[in-house]
Amino acid sequence: MAVILVLLGLPLLLWYWRSDALVHRYPPGTKIINLTAIAHGGIWTREEIAGLNYWWKKPTRATEIPLNEGDHVVVRLHSVDVLHSFAIPLLHLGPVDVPAGHTVEVKFNADRPGVLTFLCWQVCSPDHPGLHGRFLVKGGEPEESW
Amino acid sequence: MAPVVALRGEVMAKLTSQVTAPVEVPPQAWRFDVFARWPRLKRLVQMRSFQFLVIVPNLLLFYLFLIAGLFGTPVGNKNIIIVFVWILWWVVLIALMVPFGSRVWCTMCPLPFFGDWLQRRAVVKVRPGKSPGTANTFFGLHKRWPKSLSNIWLQNFGFLLLATFSALLVTRPIVSAMVFGLLILIAAIMALVYRLRTFCNYVCPISGFLSLYSMTSAVELRSVDKEECLKCKSKACIRGSDKGWACPWNIYMGKLDRNNYCGLCFECVKSCPNDNISLFVRPFGTSDVVLRGYDEVWKACIMLVLALTYSVMLLGPWGRFKDWANISEAHDWSGFGLFATGQALLALVIFPGLYYLSIRLAKWYARADAVPTKELFLKYAYMLVPMGLLAWIAFSVPLLMVNGSYIISVISDPLGWGMDLFHTADFPWKPLRPEWVPFVQAPILLAGLYFGLKGLHKVGCQLFPDAAQRHRSLVPPAVLLLGVTAVFLKLFVG
Repeated sequence: MAVILVLLGLPLLLWYWRSDALVHRYPPGTKIINLTAIAHGGIWTREEIAGLNYWWKKPTRATEIPLNEGDHVVVRLHSVDVLHSFAIPLLHLGPVDVPAGHTVEVKFNADRPGVLTFLCWQVCSPDHPGLHGRFLVKGGEPEESW
Repeated sequence: MAPVVALRGEVMAKLTSQVTAPVEVPPQAWRFDVFARWPRLKRLVQMRSFQFLVIVPNLLLFYLFLIAGLFGTPVGNKNIIIVFVWILWWVVLIALMVPFGSRVWCTMCPLPFFGDWLQRRAVVKVRPGKSPGTANTFFGLHKRWPKSLSNIWLQNFGFLLLATFSALLVTRPIVSAMVFGLLILIAAIMALVYRLRTFCNYVCPISGFLSLYSMTSAVELRSVDKEECLKCKSKACIRGSDKGWACPWNIYMGKLDRNNYCGLCFECVKSCPNDNISLFVRPFGTSDVVLRGYDEVWKACIMLVLALTYSVMLLGPWGRFKDWANISEAHDWSGFGLFATGQALLALVIFPGLYYLSIRLAKWYARADAVPTKELFLKYAYMLVPMGLLAWIAFSVPLLMVNGSYIISVISDPLGWGMDLFHTADFPWKPLRPEWVPFVQAPILLAGLYFGLKGLHKVGCQLFPDAAQRHRSLVPPAVLLLGVTAVFLKLFVG
């Protein structure tokens, strides 16, 4: 019985942390975006990269990430291989180091519509130029755009 | 006639003892009866739930490790399976558990847990019965393991295979998780097909080296009085009883004289009707000095060579060797082939060949025609056991000194998901006194040399009554051991 409790309880506990406890860390309505940098291929991806899929599956590149005007955004940055660096130049956000295996958070408010380019700020690998993408902030008046 | 016969027998016995008994009989080693001194400890291990209680925390951790390997970050130094298994567990196992606790890891190992469960259909209680060869009821096919495989060759090749891919095994969480998952599965399947713990005895690669190095350990589980065992009719230690399961390692305590294949499950302590089994403390390094087969000699050679190649690959400054071993990233297949072939040749052919050469030289130099080469080859090989263990410890301690700070960080974020349970997730990598590493390694290696030579001398005393002949026979293997120590010292200290 104890063994069965352990076998079922541990994954449930971890699932609870990911699905509920993590969300409650931030103010209600916060948009949480997970971005993982992969040096090989030069990819930012929103997919979860774990031991299980890292070695055989090529993740989808996060080229465009839709946001709505007024969103409070928390970007949780991960690296699965080398030291990367994250920046959104238009917001003067970063560069912040993203060491391998660590989780680094950056926050910003999408208070104007427009396009925000994000990128890896340091030459991390031969595929470094591929490490970029865009936040597309919808809504509001076009003249208020960045 | 009777007195004449008795007299003749006495004379014959005297003559025989003069011919066969060594001139210099090594004194009987001291041993200290732990259970007699601390009976509470005995009562603790006699509890039916004892082994379950020590396995459960490891089972829980192990389960977490498997989850972390599959679903945690692929970054090794931020994943608990890599940090806890290959930094913490490995160092504790090789530097503390084996020298001071023999095979105490086998007492708490979670790998055979499900196999035992399937075989016994019980976690704590005992099932008396009449399964073949035992006084218990076992489930499954209960077949005998083939006699041709009743040795540690499979464990030798299994460990060598794992070592060949060790650069992946000790850095990639998924590889570690898959290997441990596979071992649990194999253990469970084997428990359903074969009797007792066949997996632990003949297949588990960890058990293989534990069996060898437990010979050096400062503790042993033995019968208090061997005569009592000979008189015992129930043989409950090996057959089991209503108080304890039949020995999972298939050991009769009346004949047990080495630690190698005793997994310290303490079932015999529970089942012995004469209360004749106890745990003893004994001198480290020179108590069990007999290797009994080529499989064990090759295990000693393989382990010593692997301690060397691991040190070159993981601690050495040669980037090319690291790239050869690190096939998943460097993709240098010819280099990997060279590394794998070179390591296997060194472990299976070259080093055993050098050892054989030293034995031939020993035989020639000592003019020891009466002692068969095989006997000398098997018995003198013990010198490689303490040397190998202490070389592994010398290799492993720096792992903890240099990378121990990862443990503090990973405790807070075991899966690399961004948790911070104890607010230490961002604890930086801080090597602990790295400048001391050579000063820690050198004395450990020299201790290995000392115990190796001491063991060699003890075996020599058993083989050669004549001191001059004995000393001549010791020279070539001792030179080999000195050479091995010099190579390690050069590697570690420079």
